[in-house]
Amino acid sequence: MKKIFRYFKSMALLELLRGMKLTFSHMFKPKFTIRFPEERTPVSNRFRGVHALRRYPNGEERCIACKLCEAVCPALAITIESELRDDGTRRTTKYEIDLFKCIYCGFCEESCPVDSIVETNFHQYHMENASERIITKEQLLAMGDRMEEQISKDRRKDAAYR
Amino acid sequence: MNSPENKLVQIEINGITTQAQAGSMIIEAADLLGIEIPRFCYHPKLSIAANCRMCLVDVEKAPKPMPACATPVMEGMKVFTQSRRAEDAQRGVMEFLLINHPLDCPICDQGGECELQDQAMGYGRSVSRFSESKRVVVDKDVGSLIQTEMTRCIHCTRCVRFLDEIAGTSEMGGIGRGDSTEIGTMVARSIDSEMSGNIIDVCPVGALTNKPFRFSARAWELMARPSVAAHDGVGSNLYYHTRRGDLMRAVPRDNEALNQCWMSDRDRYSHFGLRSDARLSKPLLRDAKGKLQEVDWDTALNAAAGILKDSGESLGMLFSASAFNEEYLLARRLLDGLGSKRIDSRLRESAFADDATRLEQFECPTAEISTADVVLLIGSNIHTDAPILGHHLRQAWRSNQAAIYALQPRAYNYHFETAATSVVNPQAMLSSLLSMAAALGDDLESADLPAQIISAISSATADEFAQDTIKSLKAADNPLIILGNMANSHANADFIRILSQAISKSLNARINMISAGGNPTGARKYGAQPAADGLDVQQMLENPGKGWLLWDVDPELDFDNPAAARAALASGNMVAVGSFQSPLVTEFARVVLPLAAVAESEGSLTNFDGDRQPLSPAGKAPGMSKPGWKILRQLGSLTEVEGFEFIGLSDLQSTDEFKVRDNKELDKIAEVTGLQRLGEVGIYSVNAECRHTVALQESQLASLAAISMHPQDIEKHGLQAGASVCIRQAGENISLPLQADSSIAIGCALLPAAITATATLGSAWETIKVEAK
Amino acid sequence: MSEIQTYSMNFGPQHPAAHGVLRLVLEMDGETIVHADPHIGLLHRGTEKLAESKPYNQSIGYMDRLDYVSMMCNEHAYVLAIEELLGLEIPLRAKYIRTMFDEITRIMNHLMWVGTHGLDLGAMTLFLYAFRERELLIDCYEAVSGSRMHATYYRPGGVYRDLPEQMAKFKQTKWTKGKDLTRLNEWRQGSLLDYLEAFTDDFLDRVDDYETLLTDNRIWKQRTVGIGVVSPERALQLGFTGPMLRGSGIAWDLRKKQPYAAYDKVKFSVPVGKTGDCYDRYLVRIEEMRQSNSIIQQCVKWLRANPGHVNSPDHKVTAPPRELMKDDMEAMIHHFKLFSEGYCIPAGETYAAIEHPKGEFGCYLVSDGANKPFRVHLRAPGFAHLAAMQEMVEGHMLADVVAVIGTQDIVFGEIDR
Repeated sequence: MKKIFRYFKSMALLELLRGMKLTFSHMFKPKFTIRFPEERTPVSNRFRGVHALRRYPNGEERCIACKLCEAVCPALAITIESELRDDGTRRTTKYEIDLFKCIYCGFCEESCPVDSIVETNFHQYHMENASERIITKEQLLAMGDRMEEQISKDRRKDAAYR
Repeated sequence: MNSPENKLVQIEINGITTQAQAGSMIIEAADLLGIEIPRFCYHPKLSIAANCRMCLVDVEKAPKPMPACATPVMEGMKVFTQSRRAEDAQRGVMEFLLINHPLDCPICDQGGECELQDQAMGYGRSVSRFSESKRVVVDKDVGSLIQTEMTRCIHCTRCVRFLDEIAGTSEMGGIGRGDSTEIGTMVARSIDSEMSGNIIDVCPVGALTNKPFRFSARAWELMARPSVAAHDGVGSNLYYHTRRGDLMRAVPRDNEALNQCWMSDRDRYSHFGLRSDARLSKPLLRDAKGKLQEVDWDTALNAAAGILKDSGESLGMLFSASAFNEEYLLARRLLDGLGSKRIDSRLRESAFADDATRLEQFECPTAEISTADVVLLIGSNIHTDAPILGHHLRQAWRSNQAAIYALQPRAYNYHFETAATSVVNPQAMLSSLLSMAAALGDDLESADLPAQIISAISSATADEFAQDTIKSLKAADNPLIILGNMANSHANADFIRILSQAISKSLNARINMISAGGNPTGARKYGAQPAADGLDVQQMLENPGKGWLLWDVDPELDFDNPAAARAALASGNMVAVGSFQSPLVTEFARVVLPLAAVAESEGSLTNFDGDRQPLSPAGKAPGMSKPGWKILRQLGSLTEVEGFEFIGLSDLQSTDEFKVRDNKELDKIAEVTGLQRLGEVGIYSVNAECRHTVALQESQLASLAAISMHPQDIEKHGLQAGASVCIRQAGENISLPLQADSSIAIGCALLPAAITATATLGSAWETIKVEAK
Repeated sequence: MSEIQTYSMNFGPQHPAAHGVLRLVLEMDGETIVHADPHIGLLHRGTEKLAESKPYNQSIGYMDRLDYVSMMCNEHAYVLAIEELLGLEIPLRAKYIRTMFDEITRIMNHLMWVGTHGLDLGAMTLFLYAFRERELLIDCYEAVSGSRMHATYYRPGGVYRDLPEQMAKFKQTKWTKGKDLTRLNEWRQGSLLDYLEAFTDDFLDRVDDYETLLTDNRIWKQRTVGIGVVSPERALQLGFTGPMLRGSGIAWDLRKKQPYAAYDKVKFSVPVGKTGDCYDRYLVRIEEMRQSNSIIQQCVKWLRANPGHVNSPDHKVTAPPRELMKDDMEAMIHHFKLFSEGYCIPAGETYAAIEHPKGEFGCYLVSDGANKPFRVHLRAPGFAHLAAMQEMVEGHMLADVVAVIGTQDIVFGEIDR
């Protein structure tokens, strides 16, 4: 009896029809996808994207060349050279990040005692030559200038957790 | 063995039973066992201060924790370094030390190699309870070598004790009490010891740091590469700290036989000169228009080999005294192969009659200098000649109460007290020595002495200084005679050496001769001095040949007589191998080959003790510069000389036997009339590397472009101190400011050699004329 | 001319069903597999050796990249080993967070697995559905750590930062506004915990959807039932762990057998299979997703009720808070030393293992007392599973190789390490 029942059930393609019903029902459901790049998915304020160097409100660069980020970088992606600037402060002469080496772990930002190096929420970037993978101090500072508002907003939001 | 000093007592540290020397401190016993006790002020080579209190340990039956560095071990003592009480005490001390320490770690050069950081991690709390404001201490400017940041100071007084005890200059001290204690120079001035850099090493925090190195690298970026310093023949051991092949700084490498754990400033800072813009980095060849043009190595080497072959037996090789043994060895092979007999490395000397009997190395090894009880110092500013030897001599005076007698043309400000000093002009030094020989009387072993000296002795009378000195040396258990650079570059240095050796032998004393350069012992041993029938530098300059090979030599600054060198080098084709540009080389050389500096190449150096110390490259040489042995190997094969068929330095087999030429007849001692020049070579003028180091040149010890005379002499010559005077020598004249200096012997004038201002003049030890302008 | 009996064929390393860079050299007799020889090493990055040259914390980020579909679980084993050697006790809240994220990771891994496994065997739709849900979980990763995959979230002593009180929201655009926007942001109004609660409430229905598509499907059954059968005895002998072992009917789960984190404080059951074929392993993994869902729900409940620290207060190991670091000498020094030199671990060795979505993932750590490991060895479950490839496919048809690779849930990041 069971055998016959199973035979008919099989012939009726019941389980296939059930599956098709499920997929068909998605025709009437709202879409899950969005229209990239005009629309973006939400980005967390902790997001670790491409780096930037920040400045103080008076325009002075924050970085004091302590090299903690260089030391803590697991991928050895950061190269810093430092010297005594004319005003007697310790400053970098070279601050380069190799974006191909970087693993975006965020340790550089965690280690920075003056909140200078940060990982911004900017992650949609590309490069056309392999040599462009190394971003220089000027590029990093420019990135910081451009995104300062977003950077400080994100950091403020997370202040209680840091 | 039963003397009280050698008694052993049984103690127990952390449950481990051990034996310790009675009278030694707990911390020493613990160090031997490998038990870590935190400390800041304790330093094994300095006296005990016990003022940081970091090393508090728990001693059984003691009512309070005891400082391990100042508590002598006692029989049956039980020490606990990690008991609750000890740890609480250490944590408490650490908290106090950090109260006034600024939050400077990120900008502090010490960060990463800081004892305060390490011990805060190991023994301190992890969060502070201090919320009041911290104190600030005004910074001091102590010169061009050491950077201060006195707010970071924790008052361990290691620097104070170093300058008191080792450097002997007592330039620093603590001022004020309690919260307002400050460490600094007593009066605002620089620290001028030639060993001052060591206070950077002893400073446990970032209060004293290396100024030229400032902010340029972190400790963790640096690779320590062992090397040997080549500014004096001591062969001080050091580490070059390099980053990506660049020499960033130098720190001492422990060697109890030589530099102990110290290092002279010359060795510490001179490598900064290697970054100078004056470094040669490409081979140069003079073109048809007479201009030096950059060429590739093959072209340059072929041209150089052509010159060498053309010159043949009249090729003159002038070597620096700081080259490698291997370079001397290969130069000798090349010279023999070309059939020439002209080579010398003693460019600052002028008297060479005693080549065969001149001592090759120290009779008293460096490490034993501190055991001498009577020392006769002849013509030596030991601070300048070899700061490390000065340190050992100071130890002889400090710990062995050695009586030191000095025979000098100038009263130097030694870091030890002399029993007696005779300040006489250079010519009078000879008579002073003769008078010592006379004081020896029948004890003088005169068998081997030249007749000229014997007759001179017989006409000399022993003065008081000579009698005192000889009496004291005779009575000594461990007498030592030291001949300095000045004695060796004296116009009658051969006379001085023969006589001092005779005196030393008669007294059963040992004699050490400090020759200039980083490897004078190797130069003599491996053949960079004239062999039989060979010509010395003096003779070469008098009879110039067809060609020259200059090896790391600046003709203006590295010769005793720059004027004669200029005249001689102007004729003949010159191949110059060197690390730095120099005006005369640019003017005369046909081919210039860039040479890697000592720190950048492979080879070995022989020190005063006769020990051969191999080196491997620490930093990378700039541009296309090559190590000397590679240049010589190629010159050797291009000139088809035998003995150059090796590939690497390890293949270089040395079976060459080298014998220096025989003694010659001594020159007649000329009567000197007029003002004698004291052509001192300043501590930071000894070689091109030092001369190009800005930090050293800015320091107080650098040679001053000035002429100094005794006030009496100034008066006698009708001159005015402070005014500019005209100086004539060897047909040249220059004008320099005149200074009064009563430390200078009457009848002479201090006019430094090896500085640009005097680079046109004649011999550093002959007479000069000084006239008012 | 001799007659060809068998011939060999390269399956991968560039094959969509090879799950990365598996190169399988197959000895075929017609369509039948005579011998299968997996070649590994094409994704070898020397993680274990690299770890020897870095302070302990710097290698956490590299653990993510081992099994790159279950990132935080890899970190967990490494961090656990360090904590064990240090004797470091971590706050309970951190333990719950780790438990929760381990289970989120398990669901992510199984979604990835069910999607690609289905895709390999012809079920395209499922792939899209599974990735849809996985995306929602990846947002949780991003919310806590700032990275969507390679989180570097677990730290010796706890976790990087506490769970955020806010979730990032969709922004209004020309196309998405009003009701659409409200719907997209519906779960994102509250904290991460609210978001997760909403997700878990919904997720069981999604799992039912997957089952609707596969479980009774005749094609699916034809492709999986009776394929790659491993007997319980053999599974033990081969060193199988995780769903591979449980599919053969052995109820072995480290979360039960040697609980770590907060697993002794949550309720869940361990599903086991009967026959040990691909189909049973499929059922086991589907059920595991339901169990994980329930664990997440329990964790959410606990975490809501128990705020507190997520890091050990021992700043000799965990970095002090930034605020302290900026005006406190001790904290400054500890910050500086931790980020430059790291911490030293007393000499010793340990093995810490966790129940990874794929099986037992272990970290064998030897310390010589320095700030860098003397030796790190990682026990990757996939390695033992792949070693059974020959045994599982022998006698099957070529198309079944795809099913077996799928059921083994191979990820080359962990096998090659």
